[in-house]
Amino acid sequence: MKLWNHRKTEDLGGGWLPGKPGRKFRAGGIIPKLTAAWADRRGKIPGLPGYITENISEELIRLEDLVKIYDTGALKVLGLKRINLTIHRGEFVAIMGQSGSGKSTLMNILGCLDRPSMGHYYLDGVDVAAMGPDELSLIRNRKIGFVFQSFNLISRTSALKNVELPMTYARKGKRFREQRARVLLERVGLGKRAEHMPNELSGGQRQRVAIARALANEPPLLLADEPTGNLDTAASVEIMELFSQLHKEGTTVVVVTHEEEIAAFTERIIRFRDGMVVSDQPNMPRKPRQEKTGSAGMPGQGNTAVPEGEEEPC
Amino acid sequence: MLIENMLMAFSAIRANKMRSFLTMLGIIIGIGSVISIVSIGDTMRGLFEELYRKIGITQAYIAIGYWVDDWRQSDYFTLDEMERIKEIFGDEIAYIDSDAFTSGDAVCARTTVKFNYQGIDYNYQEVQPVNMVYGRYLNEGDILGRRKNVVMDTTSAINLFGVENAVGKTFRTTIYGTMDEYTVVGVYKKDLNPFQAMMLGSNTDGGEAFVPYTILTWPNDYFYDIRIFAKDEESMDMFFDNLKAYVAKSKDRNPEDFRMETAKAQMGQWDSMMGGLATAVGGIAAISLLVGGIGIMNIMLVSVTERTREIGIRKSLGARTKDIMVQFLTESAILSACGGILGILLGGGIVTLGGRLLGVQAIVKPGVVVLAVGFSAMVGIFFGIYPASKAAKKDPIEALRYE
Repeated sequence: MKLWNHRKTEDLGGGWLPGKPGRKFRAGGIIPKLTAAWADRRGKIPGLPGYITENISEELIRLEDLVKIYDTGALKVLGLKRINLTIHRGEFVAIMGQSGSGKSTLMNILGCLDRPSMGHYYLDGVDVAAMGPDELSLIRNRKIGFVFQSFNLISRTSALKNVELPMTYARKGKRFREQRARVLLERVGLGKRAEHMPNELSGGQRQRVAIARALANEPPLLLADEPTGNLDTAASVEIMELFSQLHKEGTTVVVVTHEEEIAAFTERIIRFRDGMVVSDQPNMPRKPRQEKTGSAGMPGQGNTAVPEGEEEPC
Repeated sequence: MLIENMLMAFSAIRANKMRSFLTMLGIIIGIGSVISIVSIGDTMRGLFEELYRKIGITQAYIAIGYWVDDWRQSDYFTLDEMERIKEIFGDEIAYIDSDAFTSGDAVCARTTVKFNYQGIDYNYQEVQPVNMVYGRYLNEGDILGRRKNVVMDTTSAINLFGVENAVGKTFRTTIYGTMDEYTVVGVYKKDLNPFQAMMLGSNTDGGEAFVPYTILTWPNDYFYDIRIFAKDEESMDMFFDNLKAYVAKSKDRNPEDFRMETAKAQMGQWDSMMGGLATAVGGIAAISLLVGGIGIMNIMLVSVTERTREIGIRKSLGARTKDIMVQFLTESAILSACGGILGILLGGGIVTLGGRLLGVQAIVKPGVVVLAVGFSAMVGIFFGIYPASKAAKKDPIEALRYE
C-alpha cells in the first residue's frame, strides 16, 4: 500500500492534467486506460467475476486520493478534492455536510453510480474506479444496497416485486426470490403488506420496503442517501432504528444526511465541506432531542442513540 | 427473466390503455389489411379452383388460332375427324364433343323463354355430373338418332312450364332456322354456390338445356372447335400437346397455328392475377405497418422519457445495459404483437363476415396468422431498438435525479 500511495502522490503532484500516468481520467487516452485495466485486475481471482476477491480485508471501503472533476465545458469544477477515507466492515457511519459540500458526489461514487476522475476506490478489495458500466451494475447488484430519500420504489409494482428486483437482476430463481422477499418484508415488519402497491403504503412503510429491497442480495454495504428526508420524525426514528438493528447484525451502513438528529444514531460522523473531509470523528452517543421524537419509549432515551448492548465506538 | 419482462410490459401497457391502443392502431390496421387481403386472395383462389373443378379442370378446347390469316375450310372440324381423334387418343380422352352452343326462343303454350342449348354427348354426365331429379339423362340412342330430346335444370323447367317435373312435356323452338318440337326427358338440379352462379352466369328468367350435339352439328357437320376432357389430370399437359401436334399435322399446319385453351391454364391466370393484386395491396398494407412501427417508436420514446427515473432505479439495483434494453424491446414487441393479434381478429373477422354475406367459406390460413404475429413482433423489435438503446444508455445518476 505504501508503494502504491507513493506513486500516486507523485503523480498527483504533476498537476490536474488528463492523461497523466497512473491516473484515471475520463478522456485520458491510452496510458490511463492501460493503467486502469491493470488496476482492474488487481486483487481479482482470474476467471471469476470482478466482484469476487481474494483479499477480503477488514476495510470494506478505501478511498485513495479520490478526485472528482465536473467538466462543464468552459469550466472544470472540483467536486471532490483528494479524499482519503477508510470504512471498515461493520461500521455505522454518517456522512454529513451542507448541500454542495460534495457529500452527494461521494455518495454517488461510493454507490458505484459514478466514477471518480482520479484516484482509487477499493470496495471489498476491488478497485472499482476503472470499471465499465456493466461491471459497475454487477457491483451495485451484489455489493451495495441503496436506500434513497425518495424511496425510489417502482410504481405499479407490488412491494414484493420491488424487493425481488435486485434478485431478478442477479438471475435468482423465481421461487427463491419470492421466498426471500417475503422473509425480508417480514423482517422490516411489512410481512402483511407484501402485495401492496407503493402508493398504498405510507412513507415509512415505503422506506422499509426500500430497505428490504436493499438487503435482497445480502450486500456487504448498505448505502442510504438522506433516508429520512421525506419522513416525519416518528418514521425517521423507526427507519434509523432499523438501520441500527441491521448494523448490530453486522451490516456496514453508510448514511448521508444533513440532520444532526439522524447522524446521532451512527457511530462515526464524517463531515464534508467544499469537497473535502473536514472532520472524521467517532460519534459520542447522545440523546436525540425529546421534543422532536415526540413520544416516550423512543430508542436513545437511555441516553444512547442505538439499541442497548451496542458497543461504544471508543 | 423473460417472463418478468413480459409481465412488466403488460403492466406498462395496461397502465396506459388508451395510449397503448392508439399506438397499436397502426399495427392493427396494417396487419388487419394484410390478413384481409391475403385471405381474400386465398379465398378467391379457393373459389376459382372449386369453380374450375366444377366445370372440369381437365377440360380443354382446340381450334384454329384467331391470329391465323388464311383460314381454310379444312381448318374446321368434322364429326369424322372427331371420331378419328377418339380412336387415336381413346385411352386419354374422357369425353369429347363439338362444343356446340346455340340459343333460341322456347315456346310452350303462351310462354316464351329464351333458351341456351348446349350440345352434349351421352357420357357428358361422367365428366360433368349433374343431379338428376326427374326422368333420365340423354342416352346413346338420343345422340346417334339425333332425337329431339332435351335435359334441363329445374329453374328452366319452372320458367318454361311452371313446374319442376317437366318430364314428357314438349316445347317448340327454332334451332338453325328450323322450328321443331322438343321433348323434355329429364330434369336436374343445379347446385352452385353464389360465386359459381355469378361466374357461370346463370340467368334466372331464361333457360338452359342439354341437347344431343349431333343436332347442333347438323346439317353441315362442320364445327369450329373440339372440346375434350382428359382422363388423367397428371399427364394431360402432354396429351394436349400431342393432340395439338396431331391436329395440326392432319390439317397440314404448324402446331402454333392452333389454339389450345385449357381450364388449368385459365385457372392459373386467375391465380396469378389474384397473386398480383394481393402483392400490390399487400405493399400498401406494408406501408401502414411501417407507419404503425414509427408510431410505436414514438410512444416508446415518450415512455422511456417518462420512466427515466424507473430506469435509474433499475440501474441502481444492478440492471445492466442489456437488461434495460431487453425490457424495453420486450415492451415494444409485445405492444406491436398485441396490435398484430387484434389486427388478425379484425382482418379475419372482416373476411369471415364478408364471406358469410356472400355465402362462401372464407379461408384464413394459420400460416399467415403466425407470420403476421411474428412480423408485427419484428416490427415492434425493430422500431423498439432506438428507444430501448436510448433507455439503456441513460446515466444512472441523471436518471435517478429526473423528476
